[in-house]
Amino acid sequence: MKLRFDDETEAFRAEFVTWLEANMPDESETGERSASTADVPEWARRWQRTMFDAGWLVPSNPPEFGGRNATLIEQFVYLEELGKRHIYNSFNPQALGIIAPSILSFGTDEQKQKWAVPILRAEMTAALGMSEPDAGSDLAGLRTRADLSGDVFVVNGQKVWTSGAHDADVILAFVRTDPDAPKHKGISCILIPTDTPGVNPRPFGSIVSPDDLDFNEVFFDDAEVPAENLIGELHQGWRVANGSLGHERAMLWLGFAERMRDQLDHGARALREHGLADDPLVHDWYGRSVIDNEALRLLGYRTLAKTRRGAEATEQSILKLFGSEAVQQNALDLFEAFGPDSFDDTELTGPFNHLHGDSFNASWFERYLRSFAGTIAGGTSQIQRNIVAERVLGLPR
Amino acid sequence: MDFELTEDQLELRQIVHDIVERECPTSLIRAVVAGTEDAAGLWKQYVDLDWPALTIPESDGGIGFTAVESVIVLAELGYVADPTPFLATTTQYAPLVRECATDGVRSELLGAVARGATGAAAFARDTVSATADGDGWVLSGTARYVVDGDRAEQVAIVASIGDREGGGDRDDVGLFVVPGAEVQASHDVTFDGSLHLADLALDGVRVGADRAFTGAGVADGVARAEHEVLAGISAMTVGASQRILDLVLEHVKERKQFGVPIGSFQAVKHLAVDMLVAIERARALAEFAALTIAEDDPRRAVAASMAKAAAGDCQRLCVKNGIQLFGGLGFTWENDLQIFVRRAKAGELLFGSSTHHRATVARTALATSATAAEEVAR
Repeated sequence: MKLRFDDETEAFRAEFVTWLEANMPDESETGERSASTADVPEWARRWQRTMFDAGWLVPSNPPEFGGRNATLIEQFVYLEELGKRHIYNSFNPQALGIIAPSILSFGTDEQKQKWAVPILRAEMTAALGMSEPDAGSDLAGLRTRADLSGDVFVVNGQKVWTSGAHDADVILAFVRTDPDAPKHKGISCILIPTDTPGVNPRPFGSIVSPDDLDFNEVFFDDAEVPAENLIGELHQGWRVANGSLGHERAMLWLGFAERMRDQLDHGARALREHGLADDPLVHDWYGRSVIDNEALRLLGYRTLAKTRRGAEATEQSILKLFGSEAVQQNALDLFEAFGPDSFDDTELTGPFNHLHGDSFNASWFERYLRSFAGTIAGGTSQIQRNIVAERVLGLPR
Repeated sequence: MDFELTEDQLELRQIVHDIVERECPTSLIRAVVAGTEDAAGLWKQYVDLDWPALTIPESDGGIGFTAVESVIVLAELGYVADPTPFLATTTQYAPLVRECATDGVRSELLGAVARGATGAAAFARDTVSATADGDGWVLSGTARYVVDGDRAEQVAIVASIGDREGGGDRDDVGLFVVPGAEVQASHDVTFDGSLHLADLALDGVRVGADRAFTGAGVADGVARAEHEVLAGISAMTVGASQRILDLVLEHVKERKQFGVPIGSFQAVKHLAVDMLVAIERARALAEFAALTIAEDDPRRAVAASMAKAAAGDCQRLCVKNGIQLFGGLGFTWENDLQIFVRRAKAGELLFGSSTHHRATVARTALATSATAAEEVAR
């Protein structure tokens, strides 16, 4: 137990920071903003490619996939430095975080070159097709069909909550290929180009605004997808799904911790400006959130150490549950602290960060609403509690 | 940060856990509370195992473990509602002596602790004052709810210094160590009979110059000792809360209604998970406080307040959900749940409430919170 990482890790951190400061795009280049999680402006594509070529896009990857074979802890401090500076390494985060790793884990060498490399180099954008109208928390109940017919899958059905699908070049979709098998065993994972006839994404506004177009319904109507686009083995898609969500969950807590720190920093400034920094009632909830933030990081560090040892880290669900709810409570407290001033939804609550998504400094109301993405997406807080109760506390199903 | 206990630390935890589970059953706690037995036998076992010496510096005759090992042990002692003077001796008295006493006396007093002498501490600067008298001091005032105040061999008293004529380079607070026999003490009967508390009447107690520490730096020493006090009592509260959760889990796995274990109901599961999250949060912060103390990091003061506030949140939720989930079966004297409910609540009442410490944390953060940009520049 030590307050600092070892010297080698800190040297790695310093090397990255030096590179980052010398290479990151200037604010004058970044005027064009991203409109969805698969809308990547030209400058952001160049930036992602610069990181790929230098081996700084995903440091834990081998060099041919944009990395430098970094260790888990090095990958972590890399993300820590990006987060601290509010820098996205990709404006198509689900592609970098979930889709490319899934292809690299389960795809053939040819598929890695054909799909993963262009995605990592931001030459191709991607969306993740998991949830369906009747398959949310019960993902394995998904019903979108893909029937193998000769050398194509014929896809019929519907996905929903498919972030960025209308801007994406390709969708990594989980589809039912064997309707007669038990529900976990008849699922496959295929890459569906969005220009395939019969693929129709329809974006819809979120609770934040009718103009906040990221989520999509995607309809598949006899869409023919080459059989070679199968990722992993036929009917073994559940393994890929678990792998994908595993990628998503591994350092998910860091996202909550960064969000929390931003809210606390921006909130502290606003509380001072509003003359509320000496209010004992404010101290009670603000203090609780400062403590939540510290505890979240500590538990995250512990999980990281466990993962490095190769131990099963059952704490992932605890971190997701705790982190997302702590962020939400804090966003709510801040939103309500400023009275009518919180009506002004044009006021930025934090400094503009030109290499970051614009939602991170939105109004407190928007931040509060967006916090529900944390407590709903990727397994709701209720599902997390069930998982923790059964897997950690050993309570019966 | 490398925030994982080492193999040795995990082993220490397991050893302490196994020993206290065997040697400190709830039947002993019930006997102590009923007054039919005392904790002396158990304390002697701790002494034979060298536990009081664990966190005494090697140069003072101890084993030289850090505050991290201390909170590991304390959490396990909280788990059994330990009735011995371990908490007071090792996390209250010894830190005060270590931080405030001058070299020779420090070694003498701490060496005695390592060999099994007990100590208590009264943090009483608001209610006890000391006046210079010849080459010694005279105390006046009272200190309430001092842990082990009526049964420790030595009592360390933090008092304000009334007479400033001695003047010069001196804080307005001093530490005075007196033999327990010279203090008029009365045992407090409280809802937690296994945490031994006493009120001290100190009027006229004389302290020789060799046991009075009033130099510059004593106030800072007291503050540093307080960090250890908070880490220790927080860990003990976490341990008691963990025991409540474990008792609850055992119960809801066994108890059947409607033909199934009640632990299969989501309404039950979710309350239990919330207890776990509160415990993990508080345990992490108690260990973090200990780590900042062990490395003498400048965050140690705020980390100690965080630990105490989180321990408070933790006991509050664990007691509430714990009693509720036990249903009628937990609402009895016979059920062991009440023992740990009492210990968890007792921790909240001492050394500042969680509300107090949350406010301390918030004030520190609101005064110093840097923007992320400033942090990057650092």
